Amino acid sequence: MRAIRNENLREEIYHQELENGINLFYFPKKGFTKKYAIFTANYGSTDNMFIPLGEREPVELPEGIAHFLEHKLFEEPDEDLFQKFSSQGAYVNAYTNFNQTSYLFYSTDNFYKNLELLVKFVQSPYLTDENIEKEKGIIAQEIQMYQDNPKWVVFFNTLKAMYQRHSVRTDIAGTVDSIYKITREDLETAYTTFYNPGNMVLFVVGDLDKDEILRTVEKAGKEYPTALEEVERIVHDEPDEILLKSVEERMMTSKPLFNIGVKDIQLGLKGKDAIKKDIVTNIILDMLFTNSSEFYNELYNEGLVDSSFGAYFTGKRTYGHSLIAGQSDSPQEVYNRIISMFRRPDRYITREAFQRIKKKEIGGFLTGFNSIEFIANNLTDLYFQDFLLIDYLDVLNEITFEDITERFKSHFVEDRSVISIIWPKIESDNN
Amino acid sequence: MEYTRKEIGEGLNINSTYTDKFKSNYLGAYIIRPLDRDEVTLNSLLPMVLGRGTRTYPETLELKRKLEALFGANLNVSASRRGERQIIKFSMEWADGRYTGEEGLDGEILQMFREIIFEPYLEEGSFSTKYLEQEKRNLITRINNKINDKRSYSINRCIEEMCKGERFSIYPGGYVQDVPQIDGKVLFDHYRKVLLSSQIEVIYTGHNNHMDIEGIIPEEFLDRKQVTYVPRETIIQKSQNRNQVIEKMSVTQGKLVLGYRAGIPYEDKLYNGLLLGNEIFGGGPNSILFRNVREKHSLAYYVTSNIVKHKSIVLLDAGIEFQNFQKTVDLINEGLRDMVSGNFSDEDMEIAKKSVRTSSESIIDSPQLMSEFAFGKIIAKDDRSLEDMIRQLEEVTREDVKQAMSKVNLDTIYFMDGLDGEVQDESN
Repeated sequence: MRAIRNENLREEIYHQELENGINLFYFPKKGFTKKYAIFTANYGSTDNMFIPLGEREPVELPEGIAHFLEHKLFEEPDEDLFQKFSSQGAYVNAYTNFNQTSYLFYSTDNFYKNLELLVKFVQSPYLTDENIEKEKGIIAQEIQMYQDNPKWVVFFNTLKAMYQRHSVRTDIAGTVDSIYKITREDLETAYTTFYNPGNMVLFVVGDLDKDEILRTVEKAGKEYPTALEEVERIVHDEPDEILLKSVEERMMTSKPLFNIGVKDIQLGLKGKDAIKKDIVTNIILDMLFTNSSEFYNELYNEGLVDSSFGAYFTGKRTYGHSLIAGQSDSPQEVYNRIISMFRRPDRYITREAFQRIKKKEIGGFLTGFNSIEFIANNLTDLYFQDFLLIDYLDVLNEITFEDITERFKSHFVEDRSVISIIWPKIESDNN
Repeated sequence: MEYTRKEIGEGLNINSTYTDKFKSNYLGAYIIRPLDRDEVTLNSLLPMVLGRGTRTYPETLELKRKLEALFGANLNVSASRRGERQIIKFSMEWADGRYTGEEGLDGEILQMFREIIFEPYLEEGSFSTKYLEQEKRNLITRINNKINDKRSYSINRCIEEMCKGERFSIYPGGYVQDVPQIDGKVLFDHYRKVLLSSQIEVIYTGHNNHMDIEGIIPEEFLDRKQVTYVPRETIIQKSQNRNQVIEKMSVTQGKLVLGYRAGIPYEDKLYNGLLLGNEIFGGGPNSILFRNVREKHSLAYYVTSNIVKHKSIVLLDAGIEFQNFQKTVDLINEGLRDMVSGNFSDEDMEIAKKSVRTSSESIIDSPQLMSEFAFGKIIAKDDRSLEDMIRQLEEVTREDVKQAMSKVNLDTIYFMDGLDGEVQDESN
């Protein structure tokens, strides 16, 4: 395997593209007991419309299909995978987000046996009409669990207000209606296209032997007749404009919750450019909305926000947004204050604040390296943006105050800002 | 890895584990209070006010900025429940100077930690009225926020109903009705009492064995004469209530919680049987309940059981359709009967052992978990090593599990139900 080293971080990572197309990475973590592997398909809830492998016409599948497939890959004809992993001392799990489906396990021993099992089971779907039907009840409960979570609802309402057509506005797990429409054919189409090894990456982290990892994965990896370069995904043209300025709903909560979203239009970046934009925007948000900022403290001291107030940016190739979240008795007033601040940020966007936040980011990143999960999950996320985690600190160090002011001007504008509010449900509403 | 423990005052100990494994240092101070209705709200409010300003950094803004300048040293304060204790905890995690390129900041961090706990910002010998009033408001919000997370809300409600009259039923976040009565003097007097009369455990995990951790405790707090040690909880063997509590709320999903008494103290040899039995019963995706309630009958997305170690209580919960209440309860009861009659496989035993083993072994990969583990051993007066604990679990037999599970008896069922007349999403 080829070694890629970063001197500042004193870490290295090994890479090899296997013959069948899987990209394999190993990140050594000496002295750690836990060993972790995460196998990911570049396929998330936003990839609902695509041209299936070997075909020419695009298809659109029911919402929630990537997540449904994630549940179903745990099905095997003759064994219970959860039990199999457990009997080998491993804890197995999976998750689906907007952009990826990941299968992971960690163990303290039998690592290679578990790794082999992981690679094999993700590459061998067992879908029957009966086991698909059975899963619908379980996923419906998962969806309903989220429907009772006000933080989840306020977040998705924000996305639905910001985006007019992009599939990021649909729920990751779909709706109870949409998942009941999913058929075996749909799942097979999605599987064949997105679980092609060329669309997958495997990260291994821990105190391990790189040659043994390579041998194990090569042995377990399936041969594929059709190598895939890149899946053709159809992304609806998303206008720069937002759909709605505000969206409100009532739920069982104690206090009004809000999310303020700012839609990004500087899209299409990848590699270092994408990561730099990401870090710059998050530094700005920290300069404004963490408890060390002047702006945060003004609102906090007036009782407009509490310690739940905070913000982050997320950016992918075809969409991106800043999200400012919290709870307040006067969410509209918080929104107004933020918009006025967007117009006159000079008191808050200062060189001093910038230097401070930059140091904090460096410390946070280094502390993250204590965690095998942090390393593996971030490696995966950044990999799909053509970036290697170990170079992150270098980009962070390069960022200047001018990058900050420039990005502030172009991104934080009223026209692309929305507010979503969840008001507490009043008992009489129900009677 | 090297562990040391040193008593520097009555009930005041410094515990250190030195290791080169991490890129950060972790320091925690655990103040142990009884979980008591009269002081629970004060204990909950106290760390919130202390986190606002210190002698050197009176303004919250300055304090937070100083932490950021120390490469984002991460300060956390909390008040939580451990059995019938309330733990006021302060912790700091900071990036190691060998990686940030600025060594020598450890001293500043320690000074900051000392000030937050022992040298708060004071006005006329008491807490700042501004900070106090703001944090009182924040505490009320925080307590009221319980309802936002329906799952943990339901678990808490089950505990309240089941443990009525026991300290364990006290909500560790405090009570809204207590808040208005708290003034600066009340809280400050309580604060002094807490520092002088509580058992305090300071726990460090990191590589710096030259750090003067003792130095964080001011002289005046070393002379401690009347330390109150919180006694071990009483354990109730048999269920008291046989309650069934149903609450109707405007929700989409029903939340079912079953509370059981196991009555096996953690000091008892049979406790390991309970640990494994619980794992097989509802511990994870390989459990009997997961296989039956979820995989076979598609009734739930999550169904899990957990042991409250210090009270020997088992709490089991699941999110289900309202109309599946009885069906789910029946399946759970059947699952427990299976456990008692030994209707589980040798493989289930092996899996449960491996699962507990894996999570135990992973503790030493995280400074926070190591700190929590060390603290857990201290309050349980358990001086076994991690290896000993794992080895003893390996020795548990099927008979132990059957015997332990036969003691598990249902006490209270709590169910968060939907409102009558509100239409639920139809599943098909």
